[in-house]
Amino acid sequence: MQGRSRAIGQDRAGQFKTMITHHPDTNTLTEFAANSLSCAQSIVVATHLDTCELCQQRLAELECIGSALFESAEPVDVDASLFDLVLAKLDEVEEAPAANDANASDLAWTVKQVRQGNLGGLNWRKVTKTLKIADLGAIDGAAEFSLYHIAEGGSIPQHNHSGTETTLVLQGGFSDETGSYHAGDFVTREAGEEHSPAAIAGGDCICLAVLEAPLRFTRWHHRLLSPLLQLRAG
Amino acid sequence: MVDKQGEGARGQSATSAWSVPEGRRTDEWSQCVVRIAEHRDRAAFAKFFAHFAPLIKAFALSGSSLSAAHADELVQEVMLKVWQKAAGFNPEKAAASTWVYTIARNCRTDMFRRLQKFDTQLEAEDVGFELESDEPTMALHASRGAIRVRELLGDLPQDQAQILAKVYMEGKSHSETAAELGLPLGTVKSRVRLAIQKLQVFMEAGSEE
Repeated sequence: MQGRSRAIGQDRAGQFKTMITHHPDTNTLTEFAANSLSCAQSIVVATHLDTCELCQQRLAELECIGSALFESAEPVDVDASLFDLVLAKLDEVEEAPAANDANASDLAWTVKQVRQGNLGGLNWRKVTKTLKIADLGAIDGAAEFSLYHIAEGGSIPQHNHSGTETTLVLQGGFSDETGSYHAGDFVTREAGEEHSPAAIAGGDCICLAVLEAPLRFTRWHHRLLSPLLQLRAG
Repeated sequence: MVDKQGEGARGQSATSAWSVPEGRRTDEWSQCVVRIAEHRDRAAFAKFFAHFAPLIKAFALSGSSLSAAHADELVQEVMLKVWQKAAGFNPEKAAASTWVYTIARNCRTDMFRRLQKFDTQLEAEDVGFELESDEPTMALHASRGAIRVRELLGDLPQDQAQILAKVYMEGKSHSETAAELGLPLGTVKSRVRLAIQKLQVFMEAGSEE
């Protein structure tokens, strides 16, 4: 067995479960459990959770801690009239349509598509021969919230970050100076770390990425960021 | 299973976080929600309200981030959701207290965003994850764990307990917590990790049995 071989070939076809080796750390997952991450980061973590049973278990434990704190709070008296108010509204909510799909916002719809893996209908723009980007929309807490599609053999120019970048691999895989990442892997890059991710052989790579502040391309690459840019593989 | 091991006569034995008597899965609050779901039972709802409304109000007022009026509004919203969503509650999968906690948490987040006029088109549910595991052990751990974790919270060092309260009850991010307490972010992060590690030891011990 070669150490590098790994069952990742099929994820485009059938989303076979692969071993996820990079997970959100305890602090990130705790903030997620307590709803204190930004919307954009929450989406990345939630999408990771969609396929990671290990983190689902971790989340269950963290929510259990939240619930224990909630239950041990010092109760605060509630006026009896509040109960009557709620009782009076029960019939009303009973008849309220449960379907929230109809009035869901565009962004909520987009997020749903991403989490379900329906990526074809998104608004992809071609940046280079091997790189397409779909901006998912303005969202609080993020300077950029996008999907990256790196064609097999392609890469993203070397860049560093002025803010934290959180990436989730949705399909295929990429490698950079720090290692290789595959479908389901959750990767965080702190501000100042430089890297140049390249798609791993065997298929295209699609990632969901949130950047807390704008990505800064290192200087001599900067001018290459025109629509005419031709990326060299690797 | 661990059921009776070392427990019988002593009731409160400390052998394991999970040696809670069977029948725990249908604790009285979970039964309440099931009755609400199946029979639209208003008496059960009243009982549930009497117990949880004051806790939801306490949660709303934590960190004095909401006014008393908004706290009452939150109690209403959460309790109406309990009524609406009761049919989706599965006592095999979660403890009712955890279930209502996650509803309160999401409603509060949405209320915060509304009040701060955040220009967001997303609700907490859109960006969250609802645990729906078919793994019954997970829910067992969660529901039994809640009881044990509650006991253990009291044993945490004050500095860790304080930070957990900020993080969960007040819904503050780690950076906000650090700023409010005048601590370096790294200190907040490590205290959270330490506290959670201690509480998790028991959950992990349970899952190995």
